[in-house]
Amino acid sequence: MAWYNTTGKASDTVISSRVRLARNLVGYPFDGKLDPAAASEMIEKISVPLEASGFRKINFSDISPIMATSYVERHYVSPEFATKTSPRALFLQENGGIAVMVGEEDHLRIQSILSGLSLKEAYENARRVEQRLDEDFDFAYSEQLGYLTHCPTNLGTGMRASVMMFLPALTAGGYMDSLAAQLSKIGLTVRGLFGEGSGAAGCMYQISNQISLGISEEEILKKLTDAIMQVSESERKLRTEITGEAMEQLTDRICRSEGILRYAYRMSSSEFLKLFADVRFGIALGIVTDITYEQLGTLLVEAMPATLTLSAESGLKNEAARDRFRCEKIQKILNPSE
Amino acid sequence: MLCEKCKKRTATVFYNENINGKTRSYSLCGECAAQLREKGELQDITSMIGSFADPFSSLHNDLFGSFFGIPARVSSGNNKTCPECGMTFREIAQNGKVGCPNCYSTFADELSGLIQSVHGTTTHTGSVPSRHRVKQERTEKLKTLRTELQGAIANEEYEKAASLRDEIHKLETENGKETI
Repeated sequence: MAWYNTTGKASDTVISSRVRLARNLVGYPFDGKLDPAAASEMIEKISVPLEASGFRKINFSDISPIMATSYVERHYVSPEFATKTSPRALFLQENGGIAVMVGEEDHLRIQSILSGLSLKEAYENARRVEQRLDEDFDFAYSEQLGYLTHCPTNLGTGMRASVMMFLPALTAGGYMDSLAAQLSKIGLTVRGLFGEGSGAAGCMYQISNQISLGISEEEILKKLTDAIMQVSESERKLRTEITGEAMEQLTDRICRSEGILRYAYRMSSSEFLKLFADVRFGIALGIVTDITYEQLGTLLVEAMPATLTLSAESGLKNEAARDRFRCEKIQKILNPSE
Repeated sequence: MLCEKCKKRTATVFYNENINGKTRSYSLCGECAAQLREKGELQDITSMIGSFADPFSSLHNDLFGSFFGIPARVSSGNNKTCPECGMTFREIAQNGKVGCPNCYSTFADELSGLIQSVHGTTTHTGSVPSRHRVKQERTEKLKTLRTELQGAIANEEYEKAASLRDEIHKLETENGKETI
């Protein structure tokens, strides 16, 4: 089962947790200086232990752009990895949400993504794969700077831990800018749904560590977990402060959004994200009782443009057809028995 | 980190200034940096560096500049090239990324300011690859053995000293092999 079809801890405020480790092999230059033949050779070498451990190999030079985008929508690869043209491969173990990108900015990006707040488990998953590869390969490392990476911002542990939070009350209250400023003081960054440069759609934000050098893996996890707990508490407190007429209006909006999500005939992905946020908020507040977090989690991937298009048997000729098919898909996931 | 001028917005622009050996770092938000540039104050900083300071500081400026969104000023002072991958410092300054692991040794001096400014330190703590763990343990063992050897010589325990010397020699050879 994929990570997005399950519900994890603290689901009222947390959508997913992700840990990635950047590693590079001694003897190969970094991206940009690595010629295609050497890149392909490196991918072949890394394939051996990964395929033996049950990973499925997806050669990104062989798949269509739409298939590549669908892996971005499932958060298994970065947008940069999907669109670059040099040799690269994804190794995937959906159970445990473990994805290894070979040929991204760093030779290896080992990551695990899990539903809800499970940073420790995500780290353990990624670490297990990293340890297996450490047996076979010599990772670029210096005692002074730790794991050596293409970009100096990833030096040290090469680790980026991030939590995708769902913060409708803090967003509505206009607190996100000051929250981002406070988090940046303690070395944490706030980004949108699909990472660097992406906007904050559907009240979803990725909070991650900015610094990876001079801080151990355990310290990064602890610092981020503590911050996530605090942000969650602020979000929850703000939710309880919605009362009276404000609550009536919010309830009306959530019920209308649920109605549109269930019964609309055509829907764009941006409209979907707005309705998604309202309905998810409705579940957390106990207003929406017949839709689950799992169903919404599945929709968050299945209703995205590329993944949606891939699932249409006869293909979708234009945007209108896709917006129509999105509604069919939503209805199918929300009413599985029909 | 907050902008040191307005103390409200997040700092995204970092400058290192090195005048007569004294380093001063500036952390500014985009808006304050733009205001200072408009007033010509930020320009003053860079021109000052150009005229007084050591040749590296203006390179640092290029590095920070391109990395954090200010157009890089191309400098001609540093022609150093990484022997492993052929990367020049100018390329690193423009892209903010190095060419190969060896670039970190080649450009250690030039990069330390950037690394310090991004991470607040230049020393790793955390996990170590297994191959280096063995080496690190051997280095520590070597330290102990050398102390013991000095003690043995001082006490005229020559037989013990000879066996310690053999052990040290063996460990040194093993460590040497792996640095290749």
